[in-house]
Order: sequence, then C-alpha cells, then structure tokens
Amino acid sequence: MIEIIKRPGGAMANRPLHFFWLADCSGSMYGEKIEQLNYAIRNAIKPMQDVAADNPNAQVMVRAVKFSTGAQWHIATATPVEEFKWDNLSSNGVTDMGQALQLVAEQLDVSLMPERCLPPVLVLVSDGQPTDDFSAGLAALMSKPWGKKSVRIGIGIGQDADLDVLQKFIGNPEVKPLQANNAEDLVKYIRWASTVVLQAASAPASQVKDQVSTGVVPIPQAPAADIDTDDVW
Amino acid sequence: MSTLLKREHIIYGNLTQQAYTIDTFLGAGTQGEVYRAHANGKLVAIKWYFPHYIQNDLPLRQRLENAIRKGSPDNNFLWPLELVTQPNNAGFGYVMPLRPSNFKSIVDLMRRRAEPSFSALISACLQLSESFLQLHAKGLCYRDINFNNVFFDPNTGDILICDNDNVDVNGATGAINGTPRFMAPELVRGDEPPNTESDLFSLSILLFYMLMLHHPLEGKKEAAIRCFDQSAMNRLYGTEPLFIFDPQDTSNAPVAGLHDNALVYWVLYPQFLRDVFTRAFTTGINDQHGRIRENEWRVILINLRDSLFYCGCGAQNFYDADNVKQCWACNKDLVYPPRLRINNAVVMLNHDTKLYPHHTDQTQKFNFSAPLAAVNRHPQDPNRWGLQNLGNNAWTITLADNSVKIVDSQRSVNLAAGIVINFGNTSAEINV
Ligand SMILES: Nc1ncnc2c1ncn2[C@@H]1O[C@H](COP(=O)(O)OP(=O)(O)O)[C@@H](O)[C@H]1O
Ligand SMILES: [Zn+2]
Repeated sequence: MIEIIKRPGGAMANRPLHFFWLADCSGSMYGEKIEQLNYAIRNAIKPMQDVAADNPNAQVMVRAVKFSTGAQWHIATATPVEEFKWDNLSSNGVTDMGQALQLVAEQLDVSLMPERCLPPVLVLVSDGQPTDDFSAGLAALMSKPWGKKSVRIGIGIGQDADLDVLQKFIGNPEVKPLQANNAEDLVKYIRWASTVVLQAASAPASQVKDQVSTGVVPIPQAPAADIDTDDVW
Repeated sequence: MSTLLKREHIIYGNLTQQAYTIDTFLGAGTQGEVYRAHANGKLVAIKWYFPHYIQNDLPLRQRLENAIRKGSPDNNFLWPLELVTQPNNAGFGYVMPLRPSNFKSIVDLMRRRAEPSFSALISACLQLSESFLQLHAKGLCYRDINFNNVFFDPNTGDILICDNDNVDVNGATGAINGTPRFMAPELVRGDEPPNTESDLFSLSILLFYMLMLHHPLEGKKEAAIRCFDQSAMNRLYGTEPLFIFDPQDTSNAPVAGLHDNALVYWVLYPQFLRDVFTRAFTTGINDQHGRIRENEWRVILINLRDSLFYCGCGAQNFYDADNVKQCWACNKDLVYPPRLRINNAVVMLNHDTKLYPHHTDQTQKFNFSAPLAAVNRHPQDPNRWGLQNLGNNAWTITLADNSVKIVDSQRSVNLAAGIVINFGNTSAEINV
C-alpha cells in the first residue's frame, strides 16, 4: 500500500547539543572504581537516549575524553546519542585533568562548533587531584565562548576526590560537586547528569520554584546520596 | 536500575483501602516516578513522589485531595482517583487511569513519529480546547500546559491530559510555574504567578505547535542567537516576545532554511486561523485580557475542520474564501467541492462530510455522536451527490426557481447550486 503523505513539512526545528564526558583513568581508579564508572556510564546510555528521544528541541551529540598521564579522546567524533556506545576504560598513570580541559577547549572553539547550538554539557568524573596545570586547562576552557556558556557538572569518586577542584570546574557556588562514595551513588549521579542535566540544558522541564540556577540554565536538584554503607570504597 | 517502588510491592488506596500491586516502572519526571499497577485484574497508573519533592511542595497533598474530591473535569484527563500510601513509608502517590498505548505524545508529533491527518489533528486541538474549558470553568488552573502532558491518538484525534497534580484553584500559590517555551511572558519575567489567563497563553502556544510544528516566537531573533541559554530564552519568551508573523513588525519573521515549517503551514491554513493566531500573539502577548479563550478556539477549530477538503491526489487541503490555491502535495490548482454556507461559516461537502447538531443550531453543544446529515451518493446514479437527512425532523428546501420541497428524515437533497435548506433553526445555501 502506498502511504500517502498526510501533512507537509519536516520535523520541528532543533539545535545540536554537544555532550562531553571527561573521565579520570589514573592509576588510583584501577580495579573496582574504573569498572564501576564503566558500568555507570553504560547504564546511563538507554535513559540518556530516551530523554533525548523525548526532547524535540535538541539533537544530542556525545564525545568523551579520558585523562591519566596526558589526555586523549575516547570518543573523538561527535556521535549522535542514538549511536552512542561505551568502550570500557582502563586505568594507569597520573591525573592530567588540565590537559583534558585543554582538549575539550580546542573543540569548543567557534571555528569548530556549529553556528547555533544549545549550551554544551561537560561532565567531569574524577577520584583524585590534578597532577598537571589544572588552572591553565580551566582558563583555556573559559576563554572560549562555548566553554563559558557550557553547563558543567563535577562528580567525585570516593573520599580522595578533590572537591575544590571540581567546584572550580563547575564555576558556580550554587551547584555543588557530587560525591559518590559507593557504586550505587555513582550510577545515580551519572544517570542524573546524562538525563536530567541533559534535559535542563535544552528544554528545561517544568520550572519548580527555588531550583538552583547555574547561570546558563536552571539545574534541577541532584538525587540524594544513599547513606547505605554496604558498598563503600 | 533503582526505583522508589519495586515490582510486587503493594500500596494501599486511602479512599477505597484497595491494595494495588506494582507491575512495571513507566517513567520518571521531575516530581516522581510513574508505575503501572493492578488491582482486581484492572490496570492503573500510579505516580509516586520523590521524597525531596514532597518536602519542596508542602501543599501537594492537600491539592491532590481537593482534585480527587472535585473529580475530573471530563473524560480526557488522567485525573487523580485516590491517594496511595505504603505502611512504614512516609512517601505517597496517587492512582490515575493508565494511558493506552495507542496514545502518542506531542513530542512524537513534533518529531514526525506520529502522523495524524489534518482532520485528526484538528480534532485533537478541538478536544484540548474543550477539556481546558471544562477545567477552567471549574475555577481551576492547570499551570503547566506543555508537550509532555498531552497525548493524542493519531487515528482519531482523541486526547488525554496527564500530570494533573499541579492543578489548583485559580490564584493559589503553587510549586510549578510552567515549562519554558510555553510560559506566558509575564511568568517568564517573574511578574505574575500562573493563572487561568497564563494557561490560555500556553494553550495558544501548544495549538500553534501542533498545527504548525513550530514555536510562534522563534524567528529571526532566535536565528541570531548562537548559544540558546537561559538569558536567550528569557529575552525571546519573556522580555522581548515578538510574533514571527506580526503584521506590524517583521523583525522576527521566520527564516527560510531554519524555520521552514512555519513558512509552509502558515499559508496553508485559512485566513481566519491566521487572524486568531495573530491576535493571540500580538494583542494577547502582553495583555492578559487579549488572550484567546477556549470557546473561541472551539468555534475556530470547528470551522477549520469544516473547511477541509480533498484534492484529487488524496491530500487534505483547506478552503480559504474563494482564493484559488494549489495543493500542497501535488501543486495542481485546487478544485473545490460543493459547500454549504451556514451562518458565517462554510462547510465543505466532501464524500465523507457529516453535519452535527451544532452546525444547524448554534445553541447546541458540540457532540459528534449523532450526525444530523451526511453526504451520500444517489443509489442508482453514482455521479449524483446528495445530502441525506439523518435527523428526525423534515427539512424545507427552496430551489433556485423558488419552488419549495420537503426532505423527510432519511431522504436526500441534491447538491445543486443555489438550493437553500431550512433545518428548522438555521438556513444554509449550497454553493458549487
Ligand atoms: N497515566 C499514565 N499512564 C501511562 N504513563 C504515564 C501516566 N502518567 C505519566 N506517565 C509517564 O510517566 C512518566 C513521568 O510522568 P510525568 O507526569 O511527566 O512526571 P513529572 O510530572 O514528575 O515530570 C512519563 O514518561 C509519562 O509519560
Ligand atoms: Zn493534490
């Protein structure tokens, strides 16, 4: 049967939203932590795709940077979220977080970004302290208009995560870094960053009074940490 | 995945003491999680709130109890039926009817994953207007009309409105201010709390989105924004809202290549629809008194549906006074079918057109269950078309030569130019 076209036109116009994972792969992540991070991100893919599919305002593109001794692209090409897959990370080396920010900053240059976009979302996950020049990396990021406009979320893994550094990365005293002390919290936070924050950056959901504003877009409240101690690192 | 409730959990209804068993997780929103559950072999949906949300929205429980006591404004709402709680759990939620799977979201419409015909789409718009009229007439305010709270059946245009837990007495202070892109400018600016008039603005936005697949304020100004962030949204929807088809100011006109749907659909619809949207987003943009009310939308949408006709290629097109237009699908000049002028409206007499009580008596409510007339073919001569009287009362018709005839119930009158049909309360003339 020939399906006749019922109505003209195309899909509703929307804008690209560039999403970056910045993942710590230093030696201290070795073992359970890196596997838990891999698991948490894999676990968030489907919810992330669902949120994106329900959001007609955004065309979500995912990239990922890993950092240890130096920083490299883990997913170099901006990948449509529908095709986003996660190859597991492994860990060793130091924590060159500043270099990771440099890499993202390069890609956020106006010459490489589309002309019209939604605010990029950067999610930084780390269990330790930067070993390189973090400030220079952050300065490079903030020197780019798209860097300044980005929505930045910081997730610390375990007790040794440098929350001050994550707070500097976030750049807004009203949004606190999230500290994941167990695998379950990590799953929850990664999922929150890849769904709720993603949604907020493009089509903020119903505006609840008193929600925190990051300045770029309002960010709904993060889920509470579980005080469950079973699974503590 | 960790959810607040799990399969086989039992929760209890506060009114009926009914035990509901949780089946599956359906989805999460900003306020809570929604599950499918069953009781006595019947399926329902249960919304269970996040503990942090309950803390932030203290009047929630009271508001839900009020809504439950008042009952649903009409059958198109997935209205709260009763509160549910669980022993040894401070949380709570509510039961509502489960949305059947043939209902698609407005997001599916925007992404073209659901493709209704124009007539089904207009029926959906019409039912939305009717249901919000019923809700507002009860003195209630919805507060959060947006893409995610309305579902429709692409085949029939039936609708369902969910997320009725923000509904409150008009004027009450509540936790939800609305959803960006749908909020009235005075709400975006923070000048006013949500009320019935801001609901009406959001309804106009939703109807424009549904009919045009585009936002009415996203034109040149949107195109000029590089990073679409909070401050850009505040400007576009709050402090400098300007209709993309403002007849006095073209500085926010749609941009070809970026806003094509707006350009394609705007010219396709009849002038009377363009006029009402123009009022909604010019005088109605800053003046709450200028908002288009649901009963006006109802009349407009009925007229819009009545102006649909088929091109020879099968595509549905709109009659727009006597302007000759080309079919949007095959580009050929459109040929109008016979039509009926009733009062100030024109009803296209297509092979499948039916007339309902409101067509012949303006005091009648819209009711599509019992047609009063239907276009049909002559049983012996398939080239002869007529209008069959399906009501109980005879019609009086006056022919072009001024002779008068009676058309009894079940009989038909020829669709010939100049015939005037007197339905009892109203007369109408056939044009060809
Ligand atoms: N009655 C229902 N039947 C089926 N699914 C529903 C029903 N109500 C809500 N849902 C689904 O549950 C999810 C969350 O519901 P929603 O009301 O949007 O939450 P919130 O108000 O917290 O944002 C959505 O995916 C929605 O489609
Ligand atoms: Zn045609």
